[in-house]
Amino acid sequence: MTDAAFFTEVLIPALLKGGVVSLQLIALAAPFGLLAGIAIAIGRTYGGRVVSGLCHGYIIFFKGCPLLLLLFILYFGLPSLGITLPAFVAAVIGFILCNGAYNSEYIRGALLSVKEGQMIAAQALGMSRWQAIRHIILPQALRRAIPGVSNEFIYLIKYSSLAYLITVTELTGAAKIVAAKYFAYFEAFALVGIFYLILVSIATVAVGVLEKRLAIPGFSGK
Amino acid sequence: MNVKIYGVLLVLVLAFAVCFTGCTGNQTPAGPGSEDSGANETPLYVVGVDGAYPPYASILKDGTITGLDVESIQWIAEKKGFRVKIQPMDWDGIIPALNAHKIDMVYSGMTITPERLEAVNFSIPYLTINQSFAIHNDSTITMADIEAGTAVIGAQSGTTGAYWVEKNLIETGKMPKENLKLYGNFPLAITDLVNKRIDATVYDRPPHLSAIEGKPAHIIGEIYTGESYGVAIRKDDTELLNTINDGITELMASPKWQELLEKYEMN
Repeated sequence: MTDAAFFTEVLIPALLKGGVVSLQLIALAAPFGLLAGIAIAIGRTYGGRVVSGLCHGYIIFFKGCPLLLLLFILYFGLPSLGITLPAFVAAVIGFILCNGAYNSEYIRGALLSVKEGQMIAAQALGMSRWQAIRHIILPQALRRAIPGVSNEFIYLIKYSSLAYLITVTELTGAAKIVAAKYFAYFEAFALVGIFYLILVSIATVAVGVLEKRLAIPGFSGK
Repeated sequence: MNVKIYGVLLVLVLAFAVCFTGCTGNQTPAGPGSEDSGANETPLYVVGVDGAYPPYASILKDGTITGLDVESIQWIAEKKGFRVKIQPMDWDGIIPALNAHKIDMVYSGMTITPERLEAVNFSIPYLTINQSFAIHNDSTITMADIEAGTAVIGAQSGTTGAYWVEKNLIETGKMPKENLKLYGNFPLAITDLVNKRIDATVYDRPPHLSAIEGKPAHIIGEIYTGESYGVAIRKDDTELLNTINDGITELMASPKWQELLEKYEMN
């Protein structure tokens, strides 16, 4: 097989197939990871003793558990309890749990940055605590959390490659299979690197645009 | 407040610096055939093995590595006057590691294939084996199902068993690509077989038997591939190739070989 044929007939088609799987993993995990992050951050900041404690426990566990280990538990460990998840589902759940834990800390930081006086003022106007969170605090906090959460999103793009270790043939896995078979490690992983770089660049630019769109005139700090 | 934050940062930076200087001091270069400190010492060769590949190589509970191939190279090393360091590593990347001089040979039940021969040299063959299929004891899958492509098969990535399935079942259109599940090491494939997530596993027969020992699974059949195992050595390292070929010839002529085959139940 010539070099050109190897690229066009073997390597690139395999990587494209894997790339699609990577995108599916990210597209499913990111929104739920964000929602989980928001819910946990609110629970930890404004919840009562029990809710706050539970949220804190969640964060400690999932931030402390290496993602790879978490995926192994979900995929190889759960069947002994009678729960047999398909590999793709186990990967997405693992990513959401981990992504949610990290996101929640960025969002909690943003929630705390909104001065307490706003909560008191909102309640003085007759809003309930929940209404104040939803209409006054969260809209400000989420804007402030964008830079941090976008960081976590970019991590998600890259750690989606761990799904390969529980048999999901995503981008890195596809490259590893082709590389091992044809001993073309440099070619395969160089292309993978370019693919991730493109994905991360698109994400970075998109987050920049989003930040500008959502900026409140007079409050941008610029 | 600001002073406090800067104080914490300073402590972190210092802690990092201390850790870093601590680490660099301990590293010893473990290059190929590295002559250590003494110039007159016998040469040291690093032997790459798959650490989860009984009966050829496996890591025992106490951390030592043993197996048919490990004992073979240790015997050869003693006869030929060199020292060996057994290095367990990732099977997928073992040939690139060899060519990158991280190890000096792969002595770990490696099948001689035309593709691999393009990248490395092989010693004379020392064993001939076939591929085998195993299923869960509760399963009724037959070899006919497997050959018809209706079973979900698990294999270790980069092994001849995985390539056999690709070539004979996937490329012929009998089996969809998704039905071949690839694992980083073989015990994970067996875990999934026991979990009934996959219908069958494919692997070289002797290590397959070791892997399912004590598990609710059994071998249902073989594919007669008649593959030969050889020791992989870098193309430019002809001296080592000759040494190993001599060593294998001597080993196979000695009573030690029968003893090893019996010990690891290879007969």
